[in-house]
Amino acid sequence: MKTIIVLGVVALIAVFIISQYNRLIRLNITVDEAWAQIEVQLKRRADLIPNLVETVKGYAKHEQSTFDAVVTARAKATTATTVADTAAADGMLTQALRGLLAVAEAYPDLKASTNFLSLQEELATTENKVAFSRQFYNDNVRSLNTAVKTIPSSFFAGFAKVSEREFYEVEDPQDRKAPGVTF
Amino acid sequence: MQAANRRKTIGLLMGMGVLMWCVVYAALTYFGGSGAGIVPIAVGIALISVWGSYYGSDKLVLTMTGAKLIQESDNPKLFDLIQEVTIASGLPMPKVAVVIDSAPNAFATGRNPEHALIAFTTGILDAMDRDQLQGVIAHEMAHVANRDTLVSAVAATTAGAIAIVSDMLTRMMFFGGRRDREGGGNPIALVISLVILILAPLAAVMLKSAISRKRESLADATAVSFTRNPAGLRSALEVLAADSTVVQQRSTAVAHIWIESPLDSKSVSKLFSTHPPIAERIAVLKSMESLT
Repeated sequence: MKTIIVLGVVALIAVFIISQYNRLIRLNITVDEAWAQIEVQLKRRADLIPNLVETVKGYAKHEQSTFDAVVTARAKATTATTVADTAAADGMLTQALRGLLAVAEAYPDLKASTNFLSLQEELATTENKVAFSRQFYNDNVRSLNTAVKTIPSSFFAGFAKVSEREFYEVEDPQDRKAPGVTF
Repeated sequence: MQAANRRKTIGLLMGMGVLMWCVVYAALTYFGGSGAGIVPIAVGIALISVWGSYYGSDKLVLTMTGAKLIQESDNPKLFDLIQEVTIASGLPMPKVAVVIDSAPNAFATGRNPEHALIAFTTGILDAMDRDQLQGVIAHEMAHVANRDTLVSAVAATTAGAIAIVSDMLTRMMFFGGRRDREGGGNPIALVISLVILILAPLAAVMLKSAISRKRESLADATAVSFTRNPAGLRSALEVLAADSTVVQQRSTAVAHIWIESPLDSKSVSKLFSTHPPIAERIAVLKSMESLT
């Protein structure tokens, strides 16, 4: 009888340890996958840019500084490797692209061209996909970090070789702008 | 918001269980031993019919609604939007279908996220802009994420079993049941059992509808957690509310899967409707907008 109880308790403890360990590993893999998704979407956007710049150039030759900003930001974004660098370059590129689209507003011929219209839809969906992949990544980093820091899963973090991950924070002046308060 | 809806669903499913138990109890009180044999048969019949349809739900619903599967090349813009939502939710890419119908509506089905199918009427694709359609897609993908095909299958199985049990037992009464009882018995218990047997199927349908309504509210909340944009789904629902046309095929069997009920809301009382009133859903989404 005694041995059965002891065996039962040991089995319960084993199940508990395994489930905690697996949860941490699973969270870590999801974060990896979410990161891969960000990279895929950023690559997709980078591939879209040369075509977009060429199209806009055809109609608006005198906006060299805007084109340069986009091209430099794109170059930075494609070479960045760490989370922080990628996020910074991503933010710069988002800004530069916004500038490019603002320029396009001033050229009605460009806005009406079918090439530009299809590029605009491509760009809209890519921007959304980039934004959603960031959001999905950050949500999963949050769950992972919570699991690494809270009891009981925190006891197994070292054993599972899982540690806190970095959030993907994009510098966007439009988000930072605090609403004006007037008295 | 999401947690509250989940708790209510569990409560309602437990209500179903209690109702089932009441029916079994009533059957035993009224018929004694011979009533007991009916229950496993009824549960068996209900299980086979509902779980068969649950397992093949994606194919079955395609035939029942006349939806046609489409490929990415058929509507690249729609696929772009669906990919956006799959990225936001982390769900696999579902199969996509279109129903040729001018009434704006959409639905999701499939036994698990890997076998999910979402369908749109041509009407909804024409009527909505990018943000609105994104909200609708997020609502449908929320049904997939919350496994609502499974939840409604469980609800339908219990409701079905209850209906079969009470149907069989009321028939037995006419053909001189109560063979196992030699007089006596508590007359009050007998009357109560009889009332339970008669009212149970009605109560089961009401519970099933209540579960469906809770799942709709939950899907709205989950959709917002995917897109973080309650305004998109809200204005989509406003378009649906303003539109008076309904999907042509009005099969009640698949009424619960559409985003907007295809049945005429006036003819169905609130207790039996599969969807919460659309004005109520819009109000909830508006309150979410003011939070962001």
